[in-house]
Amino acid sequence: MRTIETDVIIIGGGATGAGTVRDLSLRGIRAVLVEKDDIAFGTTGRNHGLLHSGARYAVNDLESARECISENRILKKIAAHCIEDTGGLFVTLPEDERTYHDRLLEGCRQAGIKAEEISAREAFSIEPNLNRSIIRAIKVPDGTIDPFRLAASNVLDAVEHGALILTHTRVTGVIVEGTRVAGITCEKDPGELINIRGRLVINAAGVWGQHICSLAGIELTMYPSKGSMVIIDYRINGVVVNRCRKPSDGDIIVPGDTVSLIGTTSKKIDYDKIEYLNVDDDEIEVLLRDGEKLIPNLSRTRVLRAYCGVRPLVDTPGKQAGGRSISRGIVLIDHEERDGLEGLLTIAGGKLMTYRLMAEMASDMTCLKLGIKAECSTHKQPLPGSETKISPKKHIRAFTGIPESVVGSTLYRHGQRVRNILKKDKKNYRIICECEMVTEGEVEYALKNLNVKDIVDLRRRTRIGMGPCQGELCAYRAAGLFKELGPGNQSVKSSQLLRDFLEERWKGIKPVLWGDSLREAEFTYWIYQGLFGLGDIDFTKRHGPDEGGDR
Amino acid sequence: MNYDCLIVGAGLSGLVCGIRCASEGLRTVIISGGMNALHFSSGSIDLMGYDPSGKVIQSPCRYLKQLEEKKPGHPYSKVGVKTVRESMEFFKKQCGLAGLDLHDNGEENHFHITGLGTMKPSYFSQKSVFNDRLKEAYERKDPIAVLNFDGFRDYFTALTLEQIRGLPLLRGVRITTGKITLPYYFRTERNLHEFRSIDLARVFDSEKYLPRIADEIKKAAGGARIVGLPAFIGIDNFGWIHRRLEDMTGLLIYEVPTLPPSILGMRIDRALKTRFADLGGELSAGDKVFGGEIIDGMLDHVHTENYGSTRHRSRFYVFSTGSFFSGGIRSEFNKIEEPILKLRMSGSQERSKWYSESFFDKKGHPFLSYGVDTGKTLNPYGADGKTVKNLFCVGSILAGYDPIREGSGGGVAISTGYYAAGKIISARKKADLA
Amino acid sequence: MINLENISFDHCIKCTVCTIYCPVARNTHLFPGPKQSGPDAERLRIKNPRLVDASLKYCTNCKRCEIACPSNVKIADIIQDAKWKYTRVFWFRPRDFFMSRTDLAGSAATMFAPLVNFVVSLTIVKLLMEFFLRIPSARAFPTYNNGTFTSWFKKIRGHQGGFKNRVTYFHGCFVNYNKRSLGEDLVRVLNSMKIGVDVVREKCCGVPLIANGYLTRARKNARYNIASLSEQKKSNSGIIVTTSSSCAFALKHEYANLLGLDNSAIYSNTEYITKYLFDRFEDGNIPDMKPVHIRAAYHAPCHLERLGGVMYTIDILKRIPGLDLVILNSECCGIAGTYGFKKEYYKVSQDIGQHLFKLIDRANPEYVITDCETCAMQIEMNTQYQVIHPVTLLAMALK
Repeated sequence: MRTIETDVIIIGGGATGAGTVRDLSLRGIRAVLVEKDDIAFGTTGRNHGLLHSGARYAVNDLESARECISENRILKKIAAHCIEDTGGLFVTLPEDERTYHDRLLEGCRQAGIKAEEISAREAFSIEPNLNRSIIRAIKVPDGTIDPFRLAASNVLDAVEHGALILTHTRVTGVIVEGTRVAGITCEKDPGELINIRGRLVINAAGVWGQHICSLAGIELTMYPSKGSMVIIDYRINGVVVNRCRKPSDGDIIVPGDTVSLIGTTSKKIDYDKIEYLNVDDDEIEVLLRDGEKLIPNLSRTRVLRAYCGVRPLVDTPGKQAGGRSISRGIVLIDHEERDGLEGLLTIAGGKLMTYRLMAEMASDMTCLKLGIKAECSTHKQPLPGSETKISPKKHIRAFTGIPESVVGSTLYRHGQRVRNILKKDKKNYRIICECEMVTEGEVEYALKNLNVKDIVDLRRRTRIGMGPCQGELCAYRAAGLFKELGPGNQSVKSSQLLRDFLEERWKGIKPVLWGDSLREAEFTYWIYQGLFGLGDIDFTKRHGPDEGGDR
Repeated sequence: MNYDCLIVGAGLSGLVCGIRCASEGLRTVIISGGMNALHFSSGSIDLMGYDPSGKVIQSPCRYLKQLEEKKPGHPYSKVGVKTVRESMEFFKKQCGLAGLDLHDNGEENHFHITGLGTMKPSYFSQKSVFNDRLKEAYERKDPIAVLNFDGFRDYFTALTLEQIRGLPLLRGVRITTGKITLPYYFRTERNLHEFRSIDLARVFDSEKYLPRIADEIKKAAGGARIVGLPAFIGIDNFGWIHRRLEDMTGLLIYEVPTLPPSILGMRIDRALKTRFADLGGELSAGDKVFGGEIIDGMLDHVHTENYGSTRHRSRFYVFSTGSFFSGGIRSEFNKIEEPILKLRMSGSQERSKWYSESFFDKKGHPFLSYGVDTGKTLNPYGADGKTVKNLFCVGSILAGYDPIREGSGGGVAISTGYYAAGKIISARKKADLA
Repeated sequence: MINLENISFDHCIKCTVCTIYCPVARNTHLFPGPKQSGPDAERLRIKNPRLVDASLKYCTNCKRCEIACPSNVKIADIIQDAKWKYTRVFWFRPRDFFMSRTDLAGSAATMFAPLVNFVVSLTIVKLLMEFFLRIPSARAFPTYNNGTFTSWFKKIRGHQGGFKNRVTYFHGCFVNYNKRSLGEDLVRVLNSMKIGVDVVREKCCGVPLIANGYLTRARKNARYNIASLSEQKKSNSGIIVTTSSSCAFALKHEYANLLGLDNSAIYSNTEYITKYLFDRFEDGNIPDMKPVHIRAAYHAPCHLERLGGVMYTIDILKRIPGLDLVILNSECCGIAGTYGFKKEYYKVSQDIGQHLFKLIDRANPEYVITDCETCAMQIEMNTQYQVIHPVTLLAMALK
């Protein structure tokens, strides 16, 4: 058995865990992050990617609203390449309650969010695809954020500052010595056991944190609430469009990279169901029906996927239960204080927007516990890729000869790191994923630098297979490149990675299998089953649990 | 307009039907909007590859006889084994007349190797994919080299190698891989690494570089006797080029279908279209039929997108409009329909029943066998439930079979197209006599 | 921003068929093909207009991708649209201006036709044009008529009124200024079938304007033509015919799909001439013809293929007695209207055509027949054969 010694162990590779490992590494503290699947596999990668201005919370939860707007401003600076400052609108439809609009404006004023009432005509000029029957509109500084990129950049920075990242590594036990947590035991994918010993363990496993606590013999109750979303084939809107009403299903459409997402539903589920999530038909119906009220063009557009995530809300006793009325506030638990168990912290609750703040809080507490004096710098230090202001024009000129769309897309995804990716070598910039303009260079960069273990991981780093064709052409190419460029001595066959990837895509396609999505699926099936006979290959290895579709 | 036969859709089934009609002197027109699915096919014709349990079928014709009793709703059962046999012979002959030689294995299935190194049973293969000499060489356990052009992104030898070594047929055979580097004379300004199979096929067609390519193949093959190349040995002059390369290298060369576009499939497409034109058939390639009118159980006319209200009339009509992919059937949120005439469909309207939980489920997906419901003579039923007597549905628009899981797509298209043509020809003859 | 009208790219299922049939991608590395430039790139351009690829400009708008597409994606329209919506074009483009104003240039030139034809053929003028206007000196120019078709028609208008059944003839600029004889042939053929011809006031159909990015102007012309043609419809058989496949394509498709205009008033009754003749022939109205004893090769223009009209032309030709007809495999000639007249595209344009020129040589005809005026120019310039229009051939066969 391998043993690793470190200072701090972080469990969970979501945004919070990734942010924490980066924060600690920047402070010069040795840290190891353990993630059972991949970076941003869980809730982090299963939301609508809204860069909140805080306006959404301005009516019901001023504290969250304030956190949001302050983080909003920080993230725009440090994570420029993960963010698009699209701006957002809150629109009131004739059937909506009129007063909500005024309450929202007032809430924004109190929280310090720059919200501005505009005329319907102005709203149409900002967003031409908007429903023409809206009666009132508010402009807010919403934006979009790419959670995969955000988590991956945090991890990349942490690695460059000395941290160790173990993905596809499942925690099997928490080592408790007396009243002190001394480390964890875990299992890396193909049965390799690892002992990690450290002075402090941070449980940042989100909704899975309940399980981690139970391994340590203490109790923590999570309140899993499922949220489903659908993805539209292209960017049907240029700015974030919110429905100006009490938070409810299907009231937001977020443009994210090349697609748009309609969010979100809210359904309470049992804790034992969190590994087996499916998007229900009625959820899709509600999302499309309500989404269409915001942007009518939606009814004529292809739906690419549906997916769902679990909100990581901590059930703090005393608060009123019931989906949305629970505050999404940050919960930092010192288990020494709460349960008399030294060396374990839990950081939970919160939201993608406040991941950095949560990481800062957890790191501050860590420093306190370990007696280290080090200041947080994550609010100033830009993430790798966002070091300087990104100018597409300059970069496109610097890479003359490579198609503009390739340079622009790579730049969009990796910011300044585009210089480590693109080379004026024809093999390097040949396009592997034709929908999202992912080049061989980008695949190679991801395989070598971004902790990629399979094609599904590769997708989260590069958007390969996330376009309209959902991997129809690029999956085969990616599998081939994996064989050529991927980590050596692979125990898993590339054709199996290929099948796993297509099965993973299928999870999100099947709930929306109609129209062009159905045609696309039929075509993909012709190729991989009809032409290649992929389904006939007998892989004796078992499959992972059936997770609900991912973005 | 006064056609004997108007066919909607120029895919495998429509072309076979058109060729047979035209060869009997019928005035035949095919209206086709968009290219057919042959462009993505393996280019081998499968008749019946697997039984419901997924077991490979050795002798498809024998299997079809049992199928007639067990599944009377299957298109094969409707046209009958005798017609199926005839149609396959007809197809082979027509391809041959257009310069495309097909290999058959008597009435038994044979195998071809796929891009992932698996094997697929098929009934006909092009001579450059499978032939008697190759069969003997496989049986002799001659060493094989799987080659690719360096930088070609739609085929990876490494993926072939993963599976091919485990194939029972090739047990004990020495299999190597190799790369043919793109030599300087290939080096155009264009990004070679983004070449599709069609671009390379055109390079082969130009015949300029054959001696040099042959040298490269010989070098990369090492000591192998058999060489596998991704399928792009020419699109116009492939037969000659294949023979030339074999002569120049002294090796046996077989082709492997790659990601689309499929050169092997396009060869069939071209052969059939050439045949159809040679026989005097008329093909309108840029138009789409979107509607028509049924009067008293007869399809009276159809409309096309380009000619709006113009009525296109014919004595007989054939719909070979394909499955969901080609638009022969359309699906919506919770609805499937035949878009042109709203013909009666077979299949569930409930979306959750359309698919299997796992993409590569052993049972396939139910939606693949959805389609238009027809009587024994392939005449569909109109929206009112009455048979449309002068309309035939052929090919993958038909319900009752799963082209991929059964491995029957090509055979059903050919035999139903052939069968419908037969019905039209005899009806026409009867009318002439009267 | 997103164009609500043409979202057909959404139906693209990435089957790559269009790339097989693109004549430009086949012949130059500079164009990545219709899939990448059309539906693939459109999603990126909607995300950020900066992601537009400069390579778009190489598209000739031949529409072969649309013919091939099994998903009904208006690929060429998407590319045309993007060319002018996303890329920035310098406003001062004298060459493009003159080339796209075919009616303006034509009405001036026909007045002094012999002089103009002579001057343009001078080597020194050609060199100057290459230098200043970037028009390749190797390019042969169409010659101008001495007098327009419309002025000729005025003389015979009275006679046409004598026919009970009359069609409206949209002659287009080429017939009007460069090839009056084709218009005359059409009148002869139709008259021999007891059909009269009406001509209305018309402006250039807009094809060259669209190709050069003068969309506002094209829209203006289109509106004028729609109004003028639908007005005339009321006083005759209601059918509008053209002898130019590109004009027909513009009237029927470009007006609605690219310019976003309502052309329903003329859509279903506008026909390319051979379709109209085909229908009359089917009805039994066939003119008296004598054997022609000609060996001819037929080249189908891309836009006529897109219209689904090739089979009608072939059918008409097959009915001409004594015609030994070779139907050439479908290949693009490469000229693509004004595209082949521009220095930057000249080589691509010529390369595309080579496949066709070889086929023609192999067929060894006396005449080449084609429906399109610019195809004819390209073929005449690159081969030694005389090129004629199917209607002219019909006129030659009339008794």
